Amino acid sequence: MPYVPNTERDRDEMLEVIGASSVEDLLRDVPAELRAKAPLEVPGPLSEIELVRHVSELAARNRVEGVVSFLGGGIYDHAVPAAVRHVVRLPHFYTAYTPYQAEASQGTLQTIYEFQSLIVRLTGMDVANASMYDGATAAAEACLMAIDATKRRKVVVSASVSPAARRVLRTMLAPDAVDIVEVPLRHGVTDLAALDGALPDAAALLLQHPNYFGLLEPAREIGERVSSSGALLVASVDPVSLALLAPPGSYGAEIAVGEGQSLGSPMGFGGPLLGFMAARKKHVRRLPGRIVGATVDAHGRRGYVMTLQTREQHIRREKATSNICTNEGLVALTAAVYLSLLGERGFRELAVQVTSKAHYAADALSRIAGVRLCFPGAFFREFAVELPVDAGRVRDELARAGIWPGIPCGRDYDGMDRSLLVSVTETHSRADIDSLASALEAIIATRRVS
Amino acid sequence: MSVLDAKVLEPTVFELSSPGRTGYRLPALDVPELDPVAAFGPQAVRTAPPGLPELTEPDVVRHFTRLAEMNHHVDRAIYPLGSCTMKYNPKVNEDLAGLPGFAAIHPEAEPQFCQGAISLMYHLGRHLARISGMDEVSLQPAAGAAGELTGMLVVRAYHEDHGNPRTNVIVPDSAHGTNPASLTLAGYHAVEIPSGPDGRIDVDALGKALDAETAAVMVTNPNTLGVFENRIREVIDLVHGVGGLVYLDGANLNASLGIVRPGDIGFDLMHYNLHKTFSTPHGGGGPGSGPVGVKRHLADYLPTPMPRRDEARSRGVEYYLEHDRPKSIGKVHAAYGNFLVMVKAYAYILTLGPAGLRRVAENAVLNANYLQARLAGDYDLPQKGYCQHEFVLSASRQKDRGVKALDIAKRLLDYGLHAPTVYFPLIVKEALMIEPTETESRASLDRFADALIEIAKAAESSPESVTAAPTTTPVARLDEARAAKDLNVAWEGR
Repeated sequence: MPYVPNTERDRDEMLEVIGASSVEDLLRDVPAELRAKAPLEVPGPLSEIELVRHVSELAARNRVEGVVSFLGGGIYDHAVPAAVRHVVRLPHFYTAYTPYQAEASQGTLQTIYEFQSLIVRLTGMDVANASMYDGATAAAEACLMAIDATKRRKVVVSASVSPAARRVLRTMLAPDAVDIVEVPLRHGVTDLAALDGALPDAAALLLQHPNYFGLLEPAREIGERVSSSGALLVASVDPVSLALLAPPGSYGAEIAVGEGQSLGSPMGFGGPLLGFMAARKKHVRRLPGRIVGATVDAHGRRGYVMTLQTREQHIRREKATSNICTNEGLVALTAAVYLSLLGERGFRELAVQVTSKAHYAADALSRIAGVRLCFPGAFFREFAVELPVDAGRVRDELARAGIWPGIPCGRDYDGMDRSLLVSVTETHSRADIDSLASALEAIIATRRVS
Repeated sequence: MSVLDAKVLEPTVFELSSPGRTGYRLPALDVPELDPVAAFGPQAVRTAPPGLPELTEPDVVRHFTRLAEMNHHVDRAIYPLGSCTMKYNPKVNEDLAGLPGFAAIHPEAEPQFCQGAISLMYHLGRHLARISGMDEVSLQPAAGAAGELTGMLVVRAYHEDHGNPRTNVIVPDSAHGTNPASLTLAGYHAVEIPSGPDGRIDVDALGKALDAETAAVMVTNPNTLGVFENRIREVIDLVHGVGGLVYLDGANLNASLGIVRPGDIGFDLMHYNLHKTFSTPHGGGGPGSGPVGVKRHLADYLPTPMPRRDEARSRGVEYYLEHDRPKSIGKVHAAYGNFLVMVKAYAYILTLGPAGLRRVAENAVLNANYLQARLAGDYDLPQKGYCQHEFVLSASRQKDRGVKALDIAKRLLDYGLHAPTVYFPLIVKEALMIEPTETESRASLDRFADALIEIAKAAESSPESVTAAPTTTPVARLDEARAAKDLNVAWEGR
């Protein structure tokens, strides 16, 4: 038992101090008829050597070597700087608990404060919380805030919000019997006329910008329409885009949320992710979850504590703003280290590279006969292309060449069976993109999958 | 004094910034560079840079390392927060979760290219089911509270499917605050029932509260006083008698591993905290993982997708994700949950095996009882008798000398130890809730007990030495009222 220090002698001596005859004696409150009848049916025990061999074999059954992937849709393959990995692996951070004793947790508390500050700067909002589970649950919780703030019972969501986030929204709003109205798309972005029809009496519009297809939404026009309707604009944003794009605070968003996995975390088969949430100051007492604030100690030294805790479940119980307590603290630290490392220049350069390569890829693919961009609008890091053949079959064909060309759109959007969502990051070289284009061209030309 | 002119131990990353520095270099751009204004239009681009700090790699590493050194953490010493199960986090599990085959896989990868990941999820779900006596497990909830909400949504879907969602969920007043918050999010009304003096459910009060509108009862067992609900069979039968479901908050599962399987004794559903019972690190506030296990009659309602195994490979693969689940409550996470946390829990279960898991529970109970026995003379022990994995002391005696539970907690920090959970459960005055876990040695327990006894003596002889604590931590006691009044949650300076 590598993790249990008590020896038999320790046990016997401890039982003597307790005054018990055996460990079984200590368990006498557990009625015999409720006891497990047999040992647990789980495998093991394994030695470290056996464990590493077995789990490494499982890891090896996931194909990551020799693959050029253009999968995105909210979770992106950015490079993770070595320094980020090393800082996040300091046991002082990862083996600590939620900072209940502030004086012994200043490291965690200050990093959360810095994370909140970075999110406020990127989003152009006033306040931010310590993190949420992921961008999808953050968006749903933001809509719950808006329902509480406006006392209205309808949430409008654009069909250009990622399908996963819309599904989570439906799950989380279902018990409240909130009316969820989905606004259809026109040229891949929110249809403004349909939006106008949906907004009356709405608590919130959930908008993703850039949207699921990578397209820039007409954020300013939408912001004006939403605010004049009395609803709150909840903007779900890609943090990398905020190096270049106008922040949500500039186009009328009252709450900004998003997925922060792209800030220094691996894809990890989709988790852990990092939800972030920022808002106008007037909403601070409605925010869910932990918030860290700066203060001073008894000697006038600067320090940090969890603040506004009367919003939270351990005090307010059924009247709390949310049930969230454990969040994604270590992933928030990861994002803080990542943004600090890249800094003002590096983060901008990253965004410029991502969008430049995405545009190079879009040009290269749309030059192929029979391939065209699905939508005419400006895009940031990903784009949808329509192929002359079924997208799923193209994906399967290209996989044989070690290329994963993107996410087929037909699963989530009617009439898009021949479309792929192609995503590009700074890790793609020009040669990677060229290889996608030439492989796709070859498949289409030989009509192997037509 | 404002925060800005206070004395500073470690400046913020913004104060350390110096224009022109960067800590990371990208490869030269090998495609034509896009001009954002030309591509997106002047309306759509930022007019001013966001104001990120500018530092080199050594600046960044030193800043965060200096901050790290201000943290107490479980690799350093005991972290005995009650109900938090701060056990040791095995190192090999961190290495395994970092394997590129896990870390670099996209959730939209086709099943044929991520068989290892789906297989791990499938088998972890099976192991958790067997450990708890449940039939099916969803790994999707990202934390314990997310598991509770998922569980309550499953309860709701089950009752709706049977014609009436019902209105109430009953929680004992000793429950974790997340329970009432979670059931409220699921659209239920919280009905609180008093617990007896031992924290156990008052079965008569429960009987009176139950009716045809009772959707479920949420139970923590062992309860938050560290006491096993020995009348749990009666409780479960009463709830089932009105058609309600019984939910187990699995926060305290560490005491039950290999001893009691909740599914065997009639619980309908529960959540697990992989970041408590199954040794995955808490990360200073997450990521956690809060899977939900259910009996067969609730399986159809679990979140979508579910990892499945098809040994006949009729879909061409052995492991796949089942998306077509018409009765499911839907998705509760953008992907499949905190997968890399699952890798660590899976490794932990395999390392321990059946006998090892039972030894975890036995030693968690032994360690808690040893500490309780050592401390019972110097502090009030409201609940007599043996405890399970944790116990609750009261500092009422010390409070009479002007030393509160909070003061004792702060004084422990001066010994280089972490404090217990204080002021919870709410039903005990001046509560000190202590859960040592099985990974503390006897020497570590003695060090903690000696410190608490010394503090109790100091409370008698020189109370001010306790109320002045902490004096050796990086900062002294912090002004929480000021933090809430002069709210400063983001750095405004350059």
